[in-house]
Amino acid sequence: MNELYAILFGFITLLGGVTTAIYRDPFDKLISLSLLAAGIFPFIVDRGYVDVAAAAALIAPLGTIFTLMVCRRRARDA
Amino acid sequence: MIALAVVAIIAALEAVRVVAERNTMRKLPYLNVVSFAITGSLMLLLPHPLTILACAAYFVGSTLESNAIASTWSGGIRKHE
Amino acid sequence: MTPEYLLGLALLVIGTIASAFPRDKDYLTRLINLEIPGFGLLLVMLSYDEALALFTFAGVSVITTFVFVRVMEKRGIP
Repeated sequence: MNELYAILFGFITLLGGVTTAIYRDPFDKLISLSLLAAGIFPFIVDRGYVDVAAAAALIAPLGTIFTLMVCRRRARDA
Repeated sequence: MIALAVVAIIAALEAVRVVAERNTMRKLPYLNVVSFAITGSLMLLLPHPLTILACAAYFVGSTLESNAIASTWSGGIRKHE
Repeated sequence: MTPEYLLGLALLVIGTIASAFPRDKDYLTRLINLEIPGFGLLLVMLSYDEALALFTFAGVSVITTFVFVRVMEKRGIP
């Protein structure tokens, strides 16, 4: 990968990782986690693993939806 | 290769705007812009017939994720009030 | 020393620290922070060109989240 693109997508990934760690609201954390996943995929496709990228892109929202089940229950109880 | 540079720079700028926005709901349109830019950059990085499958999968998955977050946020607040 | 390797190591360190010492000490924060080292490990596996490990890890890591969500629903939310 060219240096410019590695720096740009790595910047997106690091921004998503750091803000996921420091936010306190669960919805802000999930949005930052989506940003982190968005920075990962160009690295996977650039090495040529297109099938892994397709599988990970279909499976990553499932983890978010499972986590949202806990968020919904906590918002209802509180 | 100028198209890939434009799309990548747009993605990085909108990622900064996602982080700089304070309101949770106003973050989501910028997150959608990042998803569209990443989808375009995936297609421009590896011009191969199978890449379009990964692009479609990522597009559907990221849109579904944003919709799930927005739906849960609004539904939880309305039930709470 | 590819950019994937350095980025994966940085994400592993950030996610491990954030998951061990979270800002809010409840289960949901730790569960969301636990996704960061998962993506970091995915990037490290990517830099070593382990295709089968990559595919298996991308497919199975959601089951961990699902099991934790079920345990949190059984025990009640703190």
